Amino acid sequence: MTTPGHNLPAAPRRALRHQLRVLHVIAGAEFKLKYSGSALGYVWSIVKPLMLFTMLYLVFGRIFHLSSISHYYPVSLLMGIVLMTFFNDGTVLGMNSFVVRGSLLRKLAFPRLIIPTAATLTAAITFGINLLVVAIFVAANHIGPRPSWLLLVPLLLELYVFTFAVSLILATLFVRLRDIGQVWELALQVFFYATPIIYPIGYLPAWGRKIVFLNPFAQVLQDIRAVVLYPDLKPNKITVADAFGTPAARLIPIVIVIVLLVAALALFRREEPWLAERV
Amino acid sequence: MPAIEAVDLKKTFLLPHEYRTTVKEYFLHPLHRVEVERNQVLGGVTFTIENGEFFSVIGANGSGKSTLLKILAGIYRADSGELSVDGVMSPFIELGVGFNPELTGRDNIRINSTLLGLSKRELEASFDEIVAFSELERYIDQKLKNFSSGMQVRLAYAIAIQVQFQILLLDEVLAVGDQAFQEKCMETFERLRGEGKTIVFVSHDLQAVQQFSDRVLHLKDGLVHSLGDPAEVVGRYIAELHAGQNVGLTR
Repeated sequence: MTTPGHNLPAAPRRALRHQLRVLHVIAGAEFKLKYSGSALGYVWSIVKPLMLFTMLYLVFGRIFHLSSISHYYPVSLLMGIVLMTFFNDGTVLGMNSFVVRGSLLRKLAFPRLIIPTAATLTAAITFGINLLVVAIFVAANHIGPRPSWLLLVPLLLELYVFTFAVSLILATLFVRLRDIGQVWELALQVFFYATPIIYPIGYLPAWGRKIVFLNPFAQVLQDIRAVVLYPDLKPNKITVADAFGTPAARLIPIVIVIVLLVAALALFRREEPWLAERV
Repeated sequence: MPAIEAVDLKKTFLLPHEYRTTVKEYFLHPLHRVEVERNQVLGGVTFTIENGEFFSVIGANGSGKSTLLKILAGIYRADSGELSVDGVMSPFIELGVGFNPELTGRDNIRINSTLLGLSKRELEASFDEIVAFSELERYIDQKLKNFSSGMQVRLAYAIAIQVQFQILLLDEVLAVGDQAFQEKCMETFERLRGEGKTIVFVSHDLQAVQQFSDRVLHLKDGLVHSLGDPAEVVGRYIAELHAGQNVGLTR
């Protein structure tokens, strides 16, 4: 059968531009809403990761002496926390996005993909602000920009795509199965400790590193640290290529991200026609 | 070519309590995965709406009116049947879609108008008109939650009439708003009719239905009970309603 709303005669380019505008407006509104009514507003988005950083730094950096391994330990830790905060916020906002916007889904015909995209973009705005804090830490360590920092662009893009793919899967499943919310809360905790955020990956045995690097997040984090903090210090930078002992291993996390994205889109496409009535 | 052609539309919902939403339920009832109880909302609905027609849908609560409208809008997908639409359709079925009480009037205008399909330029061109029409100049930078419900409806309406469309779907727009607002709505109906727009109107306001409609569809239990001349269909609907009430009383 033909579906109305999809056979609008508007030129495709105009339609795409309009969808991007819808995306922009929804993401902007969500960001505003997140901090509406609070005196400090989006300052909170900086306070939270900084607070977590302070605690973890005091406990693990000082009490457990992890900061003695490198004087970059604090900034390295902060990078991990800020990236993880983005993944955390993005997937949680994304997972809830269809359910939260249920009334919109039931009253308006529009491309449903906009909703989880807007949610993850909202988290990305906060992430951008937090990255400024990281930049201040980096500058305080007397590290200046290098041309190789351009690599950060594809790395951050990879992180976003990974977060988006996971969010889309969660959001689609969450509409059918509300247990996903509880499951994901637990999974995020495991995820945090299974990623070399607090501890250096070098503390893990060789087989452990391989397992950890199957997680694209770990690869992105280690690569960002390597690019920014350790451009020439070999012993401190362990990337996915080092863990598997071959440069070809760099493809592993990228392939995982692509497979996840394709799977997420396929799952979403299958469920899309029924989202409005199930949500 | 007709504006909307629907052939044998069917829609069945699974009743909420039959719907397994937690893992526990899967474990507790592993053998009952096939949903037993189904609620057929539309049991094969066929009709044609001509271009420029004012077409109303009436029927008791639960007769399938809103579901039908949502299928026309592309919000729900019919289980079977055919639907073809000729012309740009308004994507919304209610006023004020996406309104958020925590945001200002200005923000809500931007969000709502964008969701309804207005481009940035169109919004800039009509922003002042929307504000003036809704008589909210002084309050436009206040949060929507501080607006009275009448103000909210006026704002929603002011935005909706800026949207360009050939086919308009409306679900119970007259149920809200005061007398003055309803009169405004009626004026708009007249204007849209004059412009040759196609309007699909779902309402319990039988007087308005009779006044504006070219044809009326009476849905009963998800089937076309009668379809045709407004006075005739509405008259029979009222008669049946009263007959039903009397039966209820005598039992």
